[in-house]
Amino acid sequence: MDRRRGAAVLYVPLVLAALAALFPIFWLLAGSLQTTQKLYKGSELIPRKPQWSNYVQAWVDGRLGVYLPNSLLYTVCAVVGILLVSSMAGYALARIEFRGRSGVMFVILAVLIIPAPASFIAQYKLMLSFGLTNSRLGYVLVLITAGIPMATLIMRGFFANLPKDLEEAAAIDGCTPFSAFARVILPLARPGLIAVAVIQGLNVWNEYLLALVLFDDDDLMPVQRGLMNFVSSETPLQNILLAATAISALPVIVFYVLAQRQVVQGMSSGALK
Amino acid sequence: MAYAFLLPALALLAVFTFVPFGQAILLSFQEWDGVSPSTPFVGLANYARVLHDSIFWESMKIVVVFGLAGFFVGNGISLCMALAVHRIRRGKALFRTAFYLPGVFSVVVVGMMFSWLLAPKVGILNRLLDVVGLSALQHNWLNDPATALPAVAAVFIWFHWGFGFILFLAGLQDMPAELYEAASLDGARAWAKFRYITWPELAPVTTIVSLLTLLAALQIFGTVQVLTNGGPAYHTIVPTLRIYEEAFTNHRFGAAAAMSVIFGGALVLLAGLQLRLSRRKR
Repeated sequence: MDRRRGAAVLYVPLVLAALAALFPIFWLLAGSLQTTQKLYKGSELIPRKPQWSNYVQAWVDGRLGVYLPNSLLYTVCAVVGILLVSSMAGYALARIEFRGRSGVMFVILAVLIIPAPASFIAQYKLMLSFGLTNSRLGYVLVLITAGIPMATLIMRGFFANLPKDLEEAAAIDGCTPFSAFARVILPLARPGLIAVAVIQGLNVWNEYLLALVLFDDDDLMPVQRGLMNFVSSETPLQNILLAATAISALPVIVFYVLAQRQVVQGMSSGALK
Repeated sequence: MAYAFLLPALALLAVFTFVPFGQAILLSFQEWDGVSPSTPFVGLANYARVLHDSIFWESMKIVVVFGLAGFFVGNGISLCMALAVHRIRRGKALFRTAFYLPGVFSVVVVGMMFSWLLAPKVGILNRLLDVVGLSALQHNWLNDPATALPAVAAVFIWFHWGFGFILFLAGLQDMPAELYEAASLDGARAWAKFRYITWPELAPVTTIVSLLTLLAALQIFGTVQVLTNGGPAYHTIVPTLRIYEEAFTNHRFGAAAAMSVIFGGALVLLAGLQLRLSRRKR
């Protein structure tokens, strides 16, 4: 009895914390549906006459029809690239005995520790000398590289847990090492691939610093960078700004609600392994 | 054979991570305006300039505030909430979903969201204070030197604590139930169970969470840039923002590189130190 009441008391801070976590998002959405006058007189909790036209105006004025497809393109390309490169590397590290394995492992762990603030200036210089600033290809390559260390470690963990004799069986069936990897091993590591895709997808979609440094061509910017452009351009109306922010956040909210189990699992497997 | 699998990853890391890392060190001894092809060597001039850049050193102090806020307040909330969610029966998934939701947004979205909530006249926080008769407590939160830093730090905590929560919760769920059953038989109280079982068992997770939170806090950039851009009068300036300004606003890429060598070096040292300390403890 005493124990039960103890557990019930826990709901008080939990509900308060949940409100604190959710309210700002709710308030952003509420504000994005008001008229400007309402906004300044005191935004309603739930807009009585939702101004959907704000979203149309935000879409047009904020050039979201350009930025969102850009972001989608960068995210898909970078995630596919990360999956390919990291699954191969993770496979070698987990299942092939070779000289220098611990050295390669050390290199990958070391890269994880190199902080972005230490290298983004030089990264800009390098990309400039390659002619890869204001370049879709350049941005995607940098994004893939940024994702490699964490993704490789996660994939390595998944490959290491697969049964030992898979490759031998595949070799008996006439598979080359590469086809054994592609046809036998990779399909078995699907949960790992999904976890990596989900986490890296969010990371890439939300990336801001490199997009800020590498792009000044408005037509190539991903949505985070483009949104900041819109904010600092003229002085857009507050409700239109909120609507533009909401549009850029909605894909992430939908994605999270649909894939939250993978997000949570990927997050903890990435950090704890 | 193995290297055929490793080649793409190693090649990309070499070109886009190691070369820039080395180049950052090289550039810190050179002068470059960001455009011209000439980058003459200037010896230690950049470091001398950085040494006298009081704003840079101020930013190093300020970022420690973010580090401490994330470390103690953020992680404290994460741990308490994880313990609470772990104990309840109903609604676990619901709370987990809600608590991590802020963490999936971009720094730009979070910045825009809180610029609106904390706005001086129309912001909901000041409005609520007015409604409950506490209008004396109203502030121009993000523009008042007294409140700007605590306000941005609070936003950072809101943004980031869900991450630690997820990891703590995963750690709690992995803990063997037998330990607790044995303790219950011995008549251990809740606090004793936490002190002598949960806390030591959770130590590896705590280490990782502390390290990752600390590194995220110290590297904070976008959240600050969107909310205050380092203002008012550099009251919220952080190193990464200062490095960015020095390069892209002041066009002193050499000095910016020197700053990133100093700051990046400090971060690497800190990460190494914390990992070593936690390893010795075990």
